[in-house]
Amino acid sequence: MPARSNDLALPTDTEPAIALRGIVKDFPLKRGAAVRALDRLDLEIAHGEFVAILGPSGCGKSTVLRLAAGLEQPTEGEVLVEGRSPAELIRAHRLGVAFQEHALLPWATARNNVALPFRVAGREVDRERVDALLELVGLAGFEDARPRQLSGGMRQRVAIARALALEPDVLLLDEPFGALDAVTRRRMNLELARIWMEQRITTLLVTHDVDEAVLLADRVVVMTGRPGRVLHVQQVEMPHPRGGEVTRDPEFHALVDRLTGMLDDPEPVAATS
Amino acid sequence: MSIDALSASRRVPVAQEGTARPSPARLLTRSLGRVLSRYWTVAAFVVAWQLWSWLTGYNQIVVPPPAMVFGDVLGNIGAYLPDLGWTLAMSAGGLVAGMALGTMIAVVVWSSRIVSGMMTPVALVMRSVPVVAMIPVLARVFGYGWFTVLVITTVVSFFPAFVLVGSRLRAAPQATSDLMAVLGASRSTVLRLLLLPHAVPGLLVAFRLTAPTAVLAAMLAEYLMGGRGLGTLFAQSVSFHEVGRAWGAALVATVVSVACFVAARAVERRGTVRFS
Amino acid sequence: MSRVPGAALAPSRGLAAGGVLALLVLVEIVGRLGLAGPGWPPLTDVFGYVAKPSAQQLLGRALTATATAALAGFLLGGVVALLVAVLSALVPATGPGLERLAAVVHAVPLIALGPLLITTAGREATPTLVAALAAGFAVFVAATSALGSANDAQRDVFTVLGAGRASTLLRLQLPAGLPLIVDGLTLAAPAAVLGAVIGEWFGARRGIGVLLVSSMQNVQTDQLWAAALTAAAISLLAYVLLVALRGAVNRRFQ
Ligand SMILES: Nc1ncnc2c1ncn2[C@@H]1O[C@H](COP(=O)(O)OP(=O)(O)O)[C@@H](O)[C@H]1O
Ligand SMILES: [Mg+2]
Repeated sequence: MPARSNDLALPTDTEPAIALRGIVKDFPLKRGAAVRALDRLDLEIAHGEFVAILGPSGCGKSTVLRLAAGLEQPTEGEVLVEGRSPAELIRAHRLGVAFQEHALLPWATARNNVALPFRVAGREVDRERVDALLELVGLAGFEDARPRQLSGGMRQRVAIARALALEPDVLLLDEPFGALDAVTRRRMNLELARIWMEQRITTLLVTHDVDEAVLLADRVVVMTGRPGRVLHVQQVEMPHPRGGEVTRDPEFHALVDRLTGMLDDPEPVAATS
Repeated sequence: MSIDALSASRRVPVAQEGTARPSPARLLTRSLGRVLSRYWTVAAFVVAWQLWSWLTGYNQIVVPPPAMVFGDVLGNIGAYLPDLGWTLAMSAGGLVAGMALGTMIAVVVWSSRIVSGMMTPVALVMRSVPVVAMIPVLARVFGYGWFTVLVITTVVSFFPAFVLVGSRLRAAPQATSDLMAVLGASRSTVLRLLLLPHAVPGLLVAFRLTAPTAVLAAMLAEYLMGGRGLGTLFAQSVSFHEVGRAWGAALVATVVSVACFVAARAVERRGTVRFS
Repeated sequence: MSRVPGAALAPSRGLAAGGVLALLVLVEIVGRLGLAGPGWPPLTDVFGYVAKPSAQQLLGRALTATATAALAGFLLGGVVALLVAVLSALVPATGPGLERLAAVVHAVPLIALGPLLITTAGREATPTLVAALAAGFAVFVAATSALGSANDAQRDVFTVLGAGRASTLLRLQLPAGLPLIVDGLTLAAPAAVLGAVIGEWFGARRGIGVLLVSSMQNVQTDQLWAAALTAAAISLLAYVLLVALRGAVNRRFQ
């Protein structure tokens, strides 16, 4: 695999894969009050780019992802995915998504869970592709297991295989490994890095784990909360594919420390950026 | 509590796999102890019954001794079986029809805001209406006959299924519903692939709650209207002062109801594991 | 924005009223057109019957008898069920057996209790006892799970403080379980009404149940429906009262 050159990851003059422009998002509360989750947020993601959104919990990361997924509508501003509204992409079954909760159907086998997008789209289930995906996420031999019989990490693998089932234009991941223990989580990160190298799908990953963001992303977007804004955008220059050895790289650690510092105490850094 | 007991009894053999197996005698005493701890009340009940019939001086018109009642049931089982079969058929038929109807109406209510808004108060009223007490009204409307018994068991079985399936339809996990939305699932696809399977445990709870009630309702209807079935057998024995037969019918009804309850609970447990 | 909850409520109240109205109109039309035969009278005929003084006297006497039996049964069943639940909390060894007994007693078809109760308690007390059994089971099931509802950490605190079983019950389990117990009472109230009515079928002299069966046998359709509506009304009233009580308890203990 050739190392990716970084200019590919920069927004180009062509249409971005995901564009959020001037986004304001208010959630109504009781008695007419409203909470502003996002305030004039801009974000563009290029084709084939892997962007991680990093921030403390409650800062609006999931809201960004849910806007891109068409699960929420912006109060102000526009959301375009592949130049169209998310609703259109949904209708065309072009989005892949995985959440912190695996959201697997408990009564269905791993194979049937991965086949779900085919059934929802009313297409014939491509059995070969389903089995290939299960193999890709390291679950060959577990095709007929039900979620209850799988470990937490295995369930998330099934969820990711399901997200990839229809070869989506865009992959949206909201803390997919958030419920896993640290060791499993790191292993899953490396697996995802490998899978992403094979597929190169435009990916938006939401996480509060700094290592995870730096390990996987071409670009890390750091957010602050109340209301949610982009605090800093960090290009990650390390070449793909990134394996376990990257985590021992001093450059990696410098970056992680820098971003962790921003999460701890955003103000001084915000002043310099 | 009973679920704990269940898993505990499953855990025991696993824990002992590596070590020496307990002797059959110890296994026997242990399971005997377990049976005793759970069913001592039933045994105490039979003993109290015996004592009581003894105290009333074996006046069989008042309280027939257990031996006489058990004897009649076991000795003249042929006198009970046809009526028992009839009552069970009525209960089962009504159970299936009522639960199917309840599920269907729950889906209709789910699919329409207007219907659901209109059904909410109606459901409140129906929830507190003593349906079994309405047997005389249903008997008047539908006539004295097996069809009315079927209507009554259907009505009795309808409501729990309607309520419990309805609440499961509205309580699918948020993340899974979001996933369906992102995958671009239509409402009917969501219903078919997610909500109906998700509602199965609700239907199973309804089944457990309803099965004994359906049997009871069938017998009460038969008791009031005559015709065939255990309820009629009971009513006739009472009016002909066949005390042993009357108590025998009551005993058979009890055993059948308890068996229905236990069977329905077992079905519910298995199904719930499968669907959640 | 502040109007949003109210605005959402208004149409749902309208729909609710519409639903009740549609039900009443449907019942009336089926009766008027005779769609369900002579056994289903127009609702207005039933109300016309209820308006007659003689009918009111008859219904009133029956109502008093049934309501008394239901209330007595509710209290008796509730108290006994609570005592048994407390016993099984204080003496855990009795727990499984008592729960099985309750399940078995509940599964015993009320009809099978007929001979037992009539020969022992007599025709007059039978409605109360059947009501007590029906209500008692609902309370017992709720109470046993309520007394077990205090969480492990809270229990551990009491253990470490050296609290005995009785003290833990009084200061932790009962207060923590109160909302669940009241839930059980909410279910028990209509159950007591139903129990009283069914108990009357075994040969009581007076009551809604007696009226239901005699009007069924004598083809007094308006009277039959009036009795049925009365039974439904007291059941609904019992339920609504208990729901109000539950609301009060939940406000107090939250
Ligand atoms: N459906 C909602 N209703 C009201 N407030 C919401 C809703 N969703 C999110 N919020 C609020 O918006 C803010 C951002 O939430 P979220 O995007 O979930 O944060 P994160 O994913 O970064 O933890 C939080 O303050 C949260 O309380
Ligand atoms: Mg989140």
